[in-house]
Amino acid sequence: MSETQQCTLPMYDGAKLRTASIRLRIVRRFSQFIMLALLGQWWFYGIFRCPFLVPYVSCQNCPVITCHGRIVTMFWGFWLLLPVSALLFGRALCGWGCPGGLLNQMIGMMAPFKLRVRNTFTRLAPSGKYLGLAVALFCYYILAQPRVDVPIRIGEFFPSVLLTFEHANLEWLVRTFFVLAFLGLGLIAANAWCRFACPGGGLLELLRHLSLFRFYKTSKCNDCNQCLDICPMGTRPNEANCTSCGDCREVCPSDAIVFGRRK
Amino acid sequence: MDSNPQNTVRRTFLKSALATAVVAALPSGSGRANTFSRDSLRVWSCGGLAEAFMPANDRYEQQHGIKISYTGAFAAALGKSLLGSATTEIFGGRVLDLAKKLKSSGKMLYYKPLCFTSYVMVTPLANPVGIEKITDLARPGVRVILAPEASPPGGQAVQVLLKKAGILDSATKNCVLSGSCVQRTMDDIISGRGDVSIVELRLTRMAAFAGKTTVIPIPEEFFPPPPLTFTIGVMKDAVDRALADHYLQYITSEEGQAFFAAAGFIPAISDKGRELVKKLGVKDV
Repeated sequence: MSETQQCTLPMYDGAKLRTASIRLRIVRRFSQFIMLALLGQWWFYGIFRCPFLVPYVSCQNCPVITCHGRIVTMFWGFWLLLPVSALLFGRALCGWGCPGGLLNQMIGMMAPFKLRVRNTFTRLAPSGKYLGLAVALFCYYILAQPRVDVPIRIGEFFPSVLLTFEHANLEWLVRTFFVLAFLGLGLIAANAWCRFACPGGGLLELLRHLSLFRFYKTSKCNDCNQCLDICPMGTRPNEANCTSCGDCREVCPSDAIVFGRRK
Repeated sequence: MDSNPQNTVRRTFLKSALATAVVAALPSGSGRANTFSRDSLRVWSCGGLAEAFMPANDRYEQQHGIKISYTGAFAAALGKSLLGSATTEIFGGRVLDLAKKLKSSGKMLYYKPLCFTSYVMVTPLANPVGIEKITDLARPGVRVILAPEASPPGGQAVQVLLKKAGILDSATKNCVLSGSCVQRTMDDIISGRGDVSIVELRLTRMAAFAGKTTVIPIPEEFFPPPPLTFTIGVMKDAVDRALADHYLQYITSEEGQAFFAAAGFIPAISDKGRELVKKLGVKDV
C-alpha cells in the first residue's frame, strides 16, 4: 500500500505539471498568434520593404504609407512597450510575442541540429547578437540611418517587394540577405537568428538581468540538463538566450524550475 | 391584340419607365464594370502623387466598380523598371522627358498633362526670424535646413532653385541640417531645429504636416522646370484599352483633378495649369 502511494504520488504530480505546462504552451502559442496578427505586417514590411538601413526605428519618417508601423503608429506603442516588457519579464517578448521568433521556432522544429549542447561554439555564438546590436547602433547613430532603397510608398505587397529588391542599394541588399540567410540557416541550426544574430534579442538580453520576473532554477537543480534537451533556444532557465517560454518546466525531474521574482 | 393606340402608348410608357427604374436601381459600379472586359486596372505613379491618387482611385472604384491596383514610388525608378521588363497599364510620372522616353520606346501609347508641382518656403508656425522672401535664406544667422541628398526632386531641384535665386553659396553656409529626406526636413522645421527650408507645396498638405508650418510662396521664375511636370499615359500593356482610356479621362476631368488640387498640385486643366502646359511644352507628339 505504502509502495503504491510512493509510486502514485510523484506520477500524479508529474501529470499535474504536464497539464500545467501544456496549458502554458497553449497560452504562449495563442499569445504568439495574437502578436503575429498585430505586428506581423509591420515585421514583414521591416524586412522586405523598409527603405532604411535599420528597420522598425524610423517609421515616423518613412514614406511607405501602407506599412502598419506608419499607419497605426504601432511604432510608438511598440518602442514604449519594449523596455517595460524587458524590465518585467526579460526576453519574454522573444518567446511570447515576436512574430520573427514564432517563425524561427516553427522553422527550427524542422532543423536537424538543435544545438542543445554546451560547448565552446554554443557558449560564444550567442555573442553574435551583441555584434548585431553594435552594427545596428553604428548604422543608426554613426551612419545617420541612411535610406538605402527606393521606398515603394504604396502598392500590392509582393509586386512591391520585387520592386524594392530591384531598386535597392548594396547596403540594403547586404542587410536583407544577411537576415534571410540566418532565417535559412534556421532550417539547419534551430533558431539561428534569434540565438546568434538578432539585434533586438541582444538588447533584451542585456536588460534581461534586470527583469523582475523570470523562470529560474532553484537549489533543487541537479544539473541533469533535461531542460537543455527540450529548450528551442538551446539554453537553461535564466541563462543566456532564455526567453522565459516555460517549455522546460514539465521535464524537470526535480521540479526545480519555477517562475517568479528571483531573490 | 389591343388595337387602341392610347393603350399602346400607355404600355410603351410603362415599359420604358420600368426599364429606366431597373437601370437606375442597379449599382452604378456594376453597371459600368459590365461595359469593360476587365474589372481591374494597374496604375503606377510617382510616389509624390500618392496622396492625390489614393482618394481619386477610391472614388473611381466606388463609381465604376473597377478595382485599381495602385503603386506609387519614385518615378525615375518606376520608369527604369518600365523601360526594362516591368509592365503596368497606366503610368503617371514626373518629368516630361520620362513620358517622352516611354512613348518613343513604344512602352507608352500616349500621354496627357496631369498636374504641376510648386516650391514654397516653410518656417516654424510663428516664423520666428521673419522670413518673407527667398533672399532671406542668405541672411546671416538664419538657420536653413536642406536635404541635398533626398531623392529627386527634393534635393537637387532645391539646389538649382537657390542657384537661380543667386543665393546658393550663402544659403548653404547657413545650412544647419543637411539631410536625405524631405519628410525629415518637415519634422525638423516643425520642431524648430531650423528657421526655414524649401519644399514642394504638396508636403505641407500631407496629413502629418498640414497646418504645422508657415508657408511662404516662392516666385515661379526660380523654379527648375524639369521636375515641375507630371504626365499620365496609357501603356501598351493596357489589357482593356477602353478601360484605360476611361480611367485617364476621369483623372484628367474636373472631378479627378480636384484631388490633385487638394493635395497641393496645380491641376493641368486649371488656368495656371494651362499656362504651364504651354510654357513647358507638355504635349504628346
